[in-house]
Amino acid sequence: MGPDHLGSYLAIAAALFTTGVLAVCTRRNAIGVLIGIELMLNAAALQFVAYGRFRAPLGDSIGQAAAVFVIVVAAAEAAVALALLFAVYRTLRDIDLERTRELAA
Amino acid sequence: MLADLLFWICALATVGGALASALLPNLVHAALCLGLALSGVAGLYLFLEAYYLACVQVIVYVGGILILILFATLFSSDILGRFQRSPPWQRVGGLCVAAIAGALAVRLGQVVYQHAATLEHQRPAQLREAIAAPGGIGDLLTGPWLIPFLLASLLLTAALLAAVALVQRYRHRTPKDVDGS
Repeated sequence: MGPDHLGSYLAIAAALFTTGVLAVCTRRNAIGVLIGIELMLNAAALQFVAYGRFRAPLGDSIGQAAAVFVIVVAAAEAAVALALLFAVYRTLRDIDLERTRELAA
Repeated sequence: MLADLLFWICALATVGGALASALLPNLVHAALCLGLALSGVAGLYLFLEAYYLACVQVIVYVGGILILILFATLFSSDILGRFQRSPPWQRVGGLCVAAIAGALAVRLGQVVYQHAATLEHQRPAQLREAIAAPGGIGDLLTGPWLIPFLLASLLLTAALLAAVALVQRYRHRTPKDVDGS
């Protein structure tokens, strides 16, 4: 284990992904769910970069370019999700996911 | 030795921050711990010689998405997490799902780890500099990956428009509005 081994990065990414799933499943507040999704996306990007560093064809930055796309998708997702939260907040005056059972209140 | 220590600090910040942001009831604390985890990932990118990505991680995630999330915590009526506790069945179920997902992730990692082509971990210094330079990413994005790159810009534009459209305040127009008075 250490900075020169692929396995340590994979272990960290697996832990990140698992905590992300935990946050998505257990949070009742929409912000908590959003935080979990960000954690999962970060784990995916970290795996891309780690595999690109240790296992890609020599001199190729494919892993890093793929991680750039992951970050782009995360940014777009965060923008749309926060706009949705704002729309829900304007209707319900709250973003408790237990209360968002109808599309229009 | 120092590099090892820094690596473990980054790893601890990543995993600890992620756990704290998943478990802390206070939303602002959870968001700040998410910032710690994201910064830890940026440090790990440095160890992976992805300097450009480390900068992007700090600018886009810590500087952009985290600030948005901190703003959005104000929408919640229960920022301190005193009243909106998840029911016990949801916590137990979430733990079970997370355990299954973690086991799957570890197993998948093992399989890919064993079957992916093995390369030398220590590369010549010249080659390592070539990999670390962001020019490689640019060559890839403007060459073979040009179409996905353009699609990503389209996606960002669509997300921006969707966000504006979602927060638009619609109201029924009366003839008086049309007259402009």
